[in-house]
Amino acid sequence: MLRFLLRRFGLALATLFVLSVLVFAASQLLPGDIGRNVLGPFASPADVQRLDHELGVDRPVYVQYLDWVWKFIHGNLGTSLEYQVPVASLLGPSLINSLKLAAVAFALVVPLSIFGGVFAALRRGRLPDRVITLTGLSFTAVPEFISAIVLILIFGVLLSWLPVTAAYPADADFFTQVYYLLLPGMALVLVLFGYIARMARTGTIDALESDYTRTAFLKGLDTATVIRRHVLRNSLLPTIAVIATQMGYLIGGLVVIEKLFNYNGIGQRIYTAAVNKDFTMLQSGVLVIGLVYLIATLIADILYSLLNPRIRYAAAE
Amino acid sequence: MNREWREQVEGIRQRGPIERTLLDEYFDIRYDRREFIRRATVFGLSLSTIAMVLESCGTTNPTPKVGGRLKVGIIPPPAHTIEPHTFADQGALETGSIAGEHLIRTAAGLQLVPELATSWTPNSDASSWTVKLRSQVKFQTGQAMTADDVVATYNRLVDPNSGSQAISAFKGSLSPGGITKVDDLTVKFQLDAPTASFPYLLSSTTYQGIILPANYKLGSFTSTPQTTGAFKITSYTPGVGAKYDRYNDWWGGHAALDGVDVTYYSDAAAADSALIAGTIDLIGQIQLATDRSLFNNPKVQIFSAHGATHRQVPMRVDLNNPLKDSKVRQAIALTLDRPSIVKTLFTSYADIGNDTPWAPVYPSSVGAPDIAQRAQDLTKAKQLMSAAGFANGFSITLTTEQTGEIPQLAQIIQSSVKQIGIDMKLDILTATAYFDGSQTGPPSGWGNTPWLNAPINITDWGHRAVPNVFLTAALETGGVWNAAHYSSPEFDAAAKGFIGAISLSDQKKFSKQAETILLADTPVIFPYFYYYLAAGSKSVKGYYGDPQGNVFLSHTSLG
Repeated sequence: MLRFLLRRFGLALATLFVLSVLVFAASQLLPGDIGRNVLGPFASPADVQRLDHELGVDRPVYVQYLDWVWKFIHGNLGTSLEYQVPVASLLGPSLINSLKLAAVAFALVVPLSIFGGVFAALRRGRLPDRVITLTGLSFTAVPEFISAIVLILIFGVLLSWLPVTAAYPADADFFTQVYYLLLPGMALVLVLFGYIARMARTGTIDALESDYTRTAFLKGLDTATVIRRHVLRNSLLPTIAVIATQMGYLIGGLVVIEKLFNYNGIGQRIYTAAVNKDFTMLQSGVLVIGLVYLIATLIADILYSLLNPRIRYAAAE
Repeated sequence: MNREWREQVEGIRQRGPIERTLLDEYFDIRYDRREFIRRATVFGLSLSTIAMVLESCGTTNPTPKVGGRLKVGIIPPPAHTIEPHTFADQGALETGSIAGEHLIRTAAGLQLVPELATSWTPNSDASSWTVKLRSQVKFQTGQAMTADDVVATYNRLVDPNSGSQAISAFKGSLSPGGITKVDDLTVKFQLDAPTASFPYLLSSTTYQGIILPANYKLGSFTSTPQTTGAFKITSYTPGVGAKYDRYNDWWGGHAALDGVDVTYYSDAAAADSALIAGTIDLIGQIQLATDRSLFNNPKVQIFSAHGATHRQVPMRVDLNNPLKDSKVRQAIALTLDRPSIVKTLFTSYADIGNDTPWAPVYPSSVGAPDIAQRAQDLTKAKQLMSAAGFANGFSITLTTEQTGEIPQLAQIIQSSVKQIGIDMKLDILTATAYFDGSQTGPPSGWGNTPWLNAPINITDWGHRAVPNVFLTAALETGGVWNAAHYSSPEFDAAAKGFIGAISLSDQKKFSKQAETILLADTPVIFPYFYYYLAAGSKSVKGYYGDPQGNVFLSHTSLG
């Protein structure tokens, strides 16, 4: 198990290294001079050159990269070029906000879609199965900027049940925060339900058709026990992998949802940084998301291996 | 009385944009009854309507409700640090304007209203202006405002090395060293050239000109309350929002609101739904193209301000392509069905342009019959194309930005010029890419930025209280934003004469010359001038849109 974990951890570090190189290279390729961008179009070339030197962006690219990584490792994310404040002071709250939204979305979508998928599998080919599968797929096919606006219009504007914004007041308690995050959470449920439920349904059907399930029934176990002990444990394995891969999307990819609900999440923060060419914010933000994503997949791997001994043994061999 | 008064006035406001604008202007700047009657008759209001307004406004305005915090949505968030002299984007100027004040306020209707200055007097040829400051004004730091503070603020605004975004506005009028203190409450502005409209440059139309203490530390605007306005900024989170509290020692008295809470929105739809749902009370600026859901919504009131915000379609006159011929440029301009364009893009919230920067809102605009309005004339356009040797048309690429209704305008132009055989391709960039690159200006050239170098483009231009910047920056020889690379000594002379002319009749004499030259040369198409629009809930009272986009809340209340 330890060896498995070490291998996974090493792989995560290697991935992070590749990601850091890619992010840095990509931001170097973006058009525009940093000094020119900060000083504006009328600044003289000499002033632009002076600022570039002050910021250190006229040094060789590999020196800039090593300097950036070294500082990042030591917790120094740099200073935002646009706002002239430490990047961490802006990224930190945004990341926490994104994690909160992801948590609410997870709390809604995971039980709902697993229950839906398993229920559909147990009623395979019948009306509940068709309704769940078709509804889930239909919602997944609808772009989130459409489904989110429809939800805002229905629950926020027409019925006034939920706030139309996810930006809860600064002094909001836990329940108020959840209340504000329900509507964007519901929008994410619509996006993710179909996919996760489908995985859960497929996994359950496979497990139901397996020899060990048949054996369990034949030896006289009741349906509930068979499903709990034999079916679910095996059917949820691929579902966990799918859920883990959605972490990156839920943490850093919610630009549209964050925009529509005016939520200060890390996705919108990075998007704005890219538009405004705030390179320090952009680079650190993407790397932070990468870090969170890798941690999530690492946790998923551990969960996966705990549920499936074959993984542990295979890794240990 | 209050209820009856409100109902009467609201009834008239709801009749249409002209009535709404006239009333808003009347209440905002409190111009006298004679001026109101003049404007109302110019815009064709019936005598019975005028009488009703005057009757209902014969007494004092209703007493505003005191208390409450106004929740304001600003789209989009400021793109840079909040540093007044560097303001260049809508989010920043709206954020700054809630706390800041200028020497003079340009109110709706382009009227100059004293703010931190009480008077401004020119010498005989308007080459020097003496400004008297209001006494008893205290910054939010507690220190008294004096001439030293005004001199320091304006020195920063005209300093080319300060990062000031007001350089283009002051170019040719005011240079470093031109601002001197006469006494504690008097400042003298010695100009580079006579400028009759100089007070407009000292007004809120130059939105970077927020007066700050002489010892103002750069970068501290959002961390230390230090303006003179009715509200002081108490917190600011980039990209998220800002908070303001009432400043109790404000020279103007006691603002009705306890404070203001600003939320930034990146998405217009999010702000719109927040307003309709009551999450916010006011949106600082809206556009018909992106906020249509607010128009005709019974929960929402639209604030419009008659202004000169517009789009320019410059055509390079110096490239070796068909646009070099003024006949071709005229032909393109003649393909546009302007009334239809305005109706499609702005319903009734815009004036038709006539390919000169003199918007109808400017008193110095000549207008018909002396300067005829350019209208669609495809026959003449085809004749001009033939005369230029392009009877079979040609291909050209129009470059523009993804801003507001501009992509729709680009498509309209594309289909319009197709009628005279021009195959126009569209290259629509993000605003960032469109304005990217250098634009150092002459004599070293217009850099490499797309918006100053494409053969034909569409660019968004903000409102100005006088057309001077459009003349000096966009049309004069060597202008820093002269995207057409246009050069005409005759036009330069007329523009210079206009800027120095003191009387309105003299101004009109020069504007007529300049407009005639521009219509003949057509270096730039000005298709329309649209109104500034804001939206609020019905509970917002005493708010009037500023054509520049500033958000002035000192007289606003919640009921």
